[in-house]
Amino acid sequence: MRGAKRRSNLDVQRLLRPDFIGARNDNIKTFTSFELVYLDSKSKATIVEIKMIRDALEASVIEGEDRLDAMVEQVYASDLMSDVLAFGRPNSILLTGLATQQAVISAHMAEFKGVVFIRGKKPKDGSEKFARDNHLVLLSTELDMYDACLRIDSAKRRMYPETKTSSVGQKTEEMLLSHEFSIQGNDFTNAGMVSTEVKSILKKIGLDPKLIRRVAISTYEGEMNVVMHAQRAKVNLWVTPKLIEVTIEDEGKGIPDVELAMQEGFTTATEEMRAMGFGSGMGLPNIKKNSDELEIKSEVGKGTILQMRFFI
Amino acid sequence: MTTQDLIEKIGLKPLSKFEHRKVNGVFVSDMLSDVMASAKSGNLWLTVQTHKSIVPAANLVDVSAILITGGKEVPQETVDLASKYSIAILSTELPTFELVGKLYGLGLGSK
Amino acid sequence: MSECQHQWEMTNIQFGFVVFEKCFHCNGLRTYFSVEDTPILGDKYREGDCFWSRVENAQSFRFNLQCTKCNHLEKLDDLMGLLHCTGCLPDCEVEILRKKYEAERTWILVAFGFLPQAKTRPIPAYKLDILTDYFNQRRDASRSRIKIVPFNLIEDLSLCRGDFIHDVGMLSLEPPKGRKPLF
Repeated sequence: MRGAKRRSNLDVQRLLRPDFIGARNDNIKTFTSFELVYLDSKSKATIVEIKMIRDALEASVIEGEDRLDAMVEQVYASDLMSDVLAFGRPNSILLTGLATQQAVISAHMAEFKGVVFIRGKKPKDGSEKFARDNHLVLLSTELDMYDACLRIDSAKRRMYPETKTSSVGQKTEEMLLSHEFSIQGNDFTNAGMVSTEVKSILKKIGLDPKLIRRVAISTYEGEMNVVMHAQRAKVNLWVTPKLIEVTIEDEGKGIPDVELAMQEGFTTATEEMRAMGFGSGMGLPNIKKNSDELEIKSEVGKGTILQMRFFI
Repeated sequence: MTTQDLIEKIGLKPLSKFEHRKVNGVFVSDMLSDVMASAKSGNLWLTVQTHKSIVPAANLVDVSAILITGGKEVPQETVDLASKYSIAILSTELPTFELVGKLYGLGLGSK
Repeated sequence: MSECQHQWEMTNIQFGFVVFEKCFHCNGLRTYFSVEDTPILGDKYREGDCFWSRVENAQSFRFNLQCTKCNHLEKLDDLMGLLHCTGCLPDCEVEILRKKYEAERTWILVAFGFLPQAKTRPIPAYKLDILTDYFNQRRDASRSRIKIVPFNLIEDLSLCRGDFIHDVGMLSLEPPKGRKPLF
């Protein structure tokens, strides 16, 4: 964008300042692809990506497949468009049963990021084009309004289990982002892809390079363990202004003796794996060294959950 | 869970004159056509609609109460009509989305 | 009809609009159901001697009723909507019925067909009975009941100030004010 002021890299410290209201993506290439908003402690808002809402609702994307990483602060459930305009806040997402272009226009005028149509409704008119022209995401879910609200709410709560997300006047941990990845066991070709992406995501929000390195290494070791010893795994990356959490939950044979596995040099890698250069036995000890907190839960025959925490 | 329990546990404001009754599930919509098509007898109906036609809609489907969310003001006409039919109109400052979380926390499902 | 004690449920539910059109020439009123795009208000067109103008769109739905026991299907595509009597005319037949049944905790609703055809071919009485049965099966009928009556009980439609149970003004960008009378 010509003439726009060039900004420095976002840093989390600047974001934490109480007076910092928002950073917007002006399509400047040097900028990040996130829109981060910091609110005062009286605010009840918590931030989630539209992608998370899509997943929670098992919704289909009518428009905006490329904008699912947009962040929303508020979920507004209503079918009355005058209310949306009167009370809706910018950067919200609309949940509605009113499947018409007017609903999309109202959402746009209220500066919402998108609209979710419930009960399987889909607008038949020019909504898609309008949404595309105005950078709105349109989703459709089979759920009714109650279940839709509930799914989003539970997904949010899973993200921060210790904090109340809907109390007035109580400070809540602002989630900056949340991502989910999957790892396929025994897939040595793609081994390392997840940790590479985690690294690039963290780089984008301008965190300390040393911290990023520790997270990347830990995630990599965890990823390799999955590839070597499990069938598949789900990886969750959560970032708040104070904490990075990476959880790797796998389906696999599990770890019979965690203490033993934590010993440097101990490995259960096969000859084949070692020939590839893996399985030096440094995996878990390495994670422990690089993370601030590490929790391992494992059940033989079922799988392992690795929870790594890094303080910012 | 009765309308009485809900009023006390969440802090809802009763606006009309009515008889307390058991609440079976929650229904959320501002569209009367949705209510007619899908709401169930005994449901707690969450809406921001305050036009007096919510009363016959509520009657038709036999909801246990209408809960107006987001602190929306309810016209006296609507309240009076509801009192006439002994339909509960309750009010809350909380927006719909937050209320759903609370109701679920109390054990109310959508059915 | 069989001896089945029908247990009804809604099927073929279709959401859409009930469109109201008025002719300024003969003051006639026309209504129909549309599943298409939001019909544009104020749209005018000429048909013979009539000059029709769209005056209202109401979010609504249509449905059929099917018996869950014997699968008998009753089509209700001639049902435009249900009207709640507001007692505007004390000697209107509907208002008289309403008052009478109120004492028994039975709420009266008026079933409208689509105009102009419903004036000469009203919804058959047996269908209104089925509709009544359906709504009573759907509720705790020991507390209160529903009775559906035909709209030809209303002597002069142009004087009726009843409220349809459908959604008007959902798309309005202005906060909802009073509804303008339709007839």
